[in-house]
Amino acid sequence: MKKEKKNQIVMTIIIGSVCIVFFAVMFMQFKTIEETDITAIENMREADLRTAISEWKGKYEDTQKQLESNRKSVQEYQQTIDKNGEASELIDKDLAESNMLLGKTDVTGEGVIVTLTNTQECVIEYSHLLELVNELRYAGAEAISINDARVVTTTDITQINSRMQVSGQRVASPYVIKAIGNQTYLSSTLSLKDSGFIDRYKASGMDIKLEKGNNVKILKYNGEMKVKYMKEVEK
Amino acid sequence: MIFIAIVVGCILGAIIGIYAPMVPYTYSGYLAIAIIAALDSVFGGIASTLNKQFDLKIFVSGFFGNAILSMLLTYLGQKLNVDIYLAAIVVFVGRMFNNLAIIRRYYLEKWTNRKEKLKTEKTEQ
Repeated sequence: MKKEKKNQIVMTIIIGSVCIVFFAVMFMQFKTIEETDITAIENMREADLRTAISEWKGKYEDTQKQLESNRKSVQEYQQTIDKNGEASELIDKDLAESNMLLGKTDVTGEGVIVTLTNTQECVIEYSHLLELVNELRYAGAEAISINDARVVTTTDITQINSRMQVSGQRVASPYVIKAIGNQTYLSSTLSLKDSGFIDRYKASGMDIKLEKGNNVKILKYNGEMKVKYMKEVEK
Repeated sequence: MIFIAIVVGCILGAIIGIYAPMVPYTYSGYLAIAIIAALDSVFGGIASTLNKQFDLKIFVSGFFGNAILSMLLTYLGQKLNVDIYLAAIVVFVGRMFNNLAIIRRYYLEKWTNRKEKLKTEKTEQ
């Protein structure tokens, strides 16, 4: 009887302590699960960490890709900049060419030198010079000068009482007309039979000398070039 | 008396659990599996009591032994990269359902017996 009672007490105590342990652990777990949301990152499981790492890896790869594409676009921009550089070089070249054609620079090259001298029989008039210049132009002369006065787009060749003027600059015999262009074209055009300048005027007693030169030098136009009235038409 | 012990133990355990320090999340998996194992032992104990086969030693050893063993297995599973705790859960929960079925059947039988008894008493009257 006594033993039975003792057994029962022991059993009660043991079962009670088991209950205590069980519920304590259970409530601890409840609490942990409830509170992990707050401190989720600190207490993350290994698997979660792994997924997080893989996520970050993906993000890293994406960023890498973006970086590469950005680099590419930077390169493209660089290329366009280089191209622009080329364009400006082209523009510079154009400008230099235009300046040469306009007569703003001293130029040299192959061409011809025509010397007209007054004689007893024939006095040279401005029309002769005009004709000669016209013919030289026709033959493809790129630059022309009369007694070192550059013939440009605004040049006039006039005569006031036997006084010859080229763009207001007085010129006198002997007239040295230099032209840069294809030597053979220039000389052959001038010396065409019957219709060429030399053939036409030599007959009337004009003193004409034609020289070919590989290094004809023509000075730049020494006047001013001003645009005062004309304007570009707006498109 | 035992019922009182159970109730008091439950309340005390709950209070202790609420005020106990928090378990790191890494180990909460082990704790969960231990709880499942313990729960299985509890239901097993109840079922055996109903069958009048209850043995305190078996109950207590099963309670703690199963919990610790399941935790160890889970740890091993983590080391081997195999989710052994899933197997433990399947086994424990399956057994829990078995025990619950035994308990249910016992009380159902008891209830039907009582009803029949009442019926027979009525007819006898």
